[in-house]
Amino acid sequence: MSDEKRDPRSLLPLTPAVLHILLALVDGERHGYGIMQEVAARTGGTIRMGPGTLYGSIKRMMADGLIEESGERPDPAMDDERRRYYRLTGFGRRVVRAEVERLEQVVRLAREKQVLSGPEMLGGQA
Amino acid sequence: MTPAKEAAPFSFRVYRLLVQCYPTEFRKEWEREMLQTFRDCYREAVRQQVSQGLLRLWSLTLYDLTLSVSVEHWRAFLARWRRLFGFEERKIQVMTSLFSICVGERSDIGRVRSENEDSFLSYMPQDSDLLSKKGALFVVADGLGGHTGGEQASQLAVSAVREAYYADDGRDTATALKQAIEYANERIYQENKAKSPAASKEKMMGTTCVAAVVLGDTLYAANVGDSRVYVVRNGQVRQITKDHSLVADQVTAGLLTDEQARAHPERNKIYRCLGLEKVEVDAFTEKVQEGELILLCTDGLWQLLSDEEIGDIVEQYSPEESVQRLIEQANERGGVDNTTVVVASIGA
Repeated sequence: MSDEKRDPRSLLPLTPAVLHILLALVDGERHGYGIMQEVAARTGGTIRMGPGTLYGSIKRMMADGLIEESGERPDPAMDDERRRYYRLTGFGRRVVRAEVERLEQVVRLAREKQVLSGPEMLGGQA
Repeated sequence: MTPAKEAAPFSFRVYRLLVQCYPTEFRKEWEREMLQTFRDCYREAVRQQVSQGLLRLWSLTLYDLTLSVSVEHWRAFLARWRRLFGFEERKIQVMTSLFSICVGERSDIGRVRSENEDSFLSYMPQDSDLLSKKGALFVVADGLGGHTGGEQASQLAVSAVREAYYADDGRDTATALKQAIEYANERIYQENKAKSPAASKEKMMGTTCVAAVVLGDTLYAANVGDSRVYVVRNGQVRQITKDHSLVADQVTAGLLTDEQARAHPERNKIYRCLGLEKVEVDAFTEKVQEGELILLCTDGLWQLLSDEEIGDIVEQYSPEESVQRLIEQANERGGVDNTTVVVASIGA
């Protein structure tokens, strides 16, 4: 199946782990631990992934053609052990964009209902 | 390239046991990376604050483990059912249409050098279209030039070859592969120019480069320097590429035998490498079929092992095990250089 013909929306909505891994790879290739660090750093540590969730997601994302392996080499910032690097595919880039657009609509809806600016506790206070 | 020599910390040993809870298939594919990543997390945790860091690491890990172990078992169970009812996965179909390739790869610093300046890469696109159009790629490079220059050059070479080869839309695989190496040369040359405009020879970095593509029933190989591609067929080892070295020319001219060349004091002198203004790349094609092996290596291997010895090992063992044994052999004989080997078996 050619990736140009695949509808990125067929994979939506993404699980939080998949979305964050895609976002971590948007600005370049990373190895598994690099993805973990990027996700933790960008979410202020609120989203943390263990190795099982990380590689389980990576496995399925590769099968879906969202990401691909981009080689194996040492990370100069760490030790001289070789690490496998991953990067987005063209299709993966389209999927993350479609998902963010979908979330944008959700946020727009929430704004219209004034969820963000309204009182925190609706009807809870005496 | 060797794992850290320190005794494995207790946490790491426990995690290694716990990983056994995952389904076998999953483990085969991911265990190595999961352990590596866990160790990275462990180091980070210890660096921050020993007791609290470890507590946090383990609470995350145990949570992750319970969750993902059950997810993976459930997925494995579903996959088994799907197979039972004939919904084969896409990946397997791709494999049968192109034959499957099993790869072993390894690089070792050797016993004498203080740095490993070799780089290698094997790449099989996940995208089935790309795989059927461009095939699987293997690259090995042996960097030259002190400090970290050699390593940088060889690293740049392997990644640039892959980038250029898969970006090329042309139909001619041999030309695409040659141009990919020319592109790698240009990248290294530009780095050299940017670093030392005066082109002082000592500061320049360079590298050999050998690349092989398996597409359909054909092997395409291209090279610069003295890293090699071999094909092993029925126990017969045959060198596909021709070295650009002084001794290789003398062997061709009948002035030296193979054994003499391997021991010649000038055996390391090559007259072509990447990193110069212009480079000439040679290309070779060869029909291959199921059961045959392709081997790429740097001179660290072929200077210390004869073709027959290489053939003996790769015929007997799996690619993974072969590369390990080949490197051990080279190290036992002195390990005078960095050694890198990639072995790919077709249709195994």
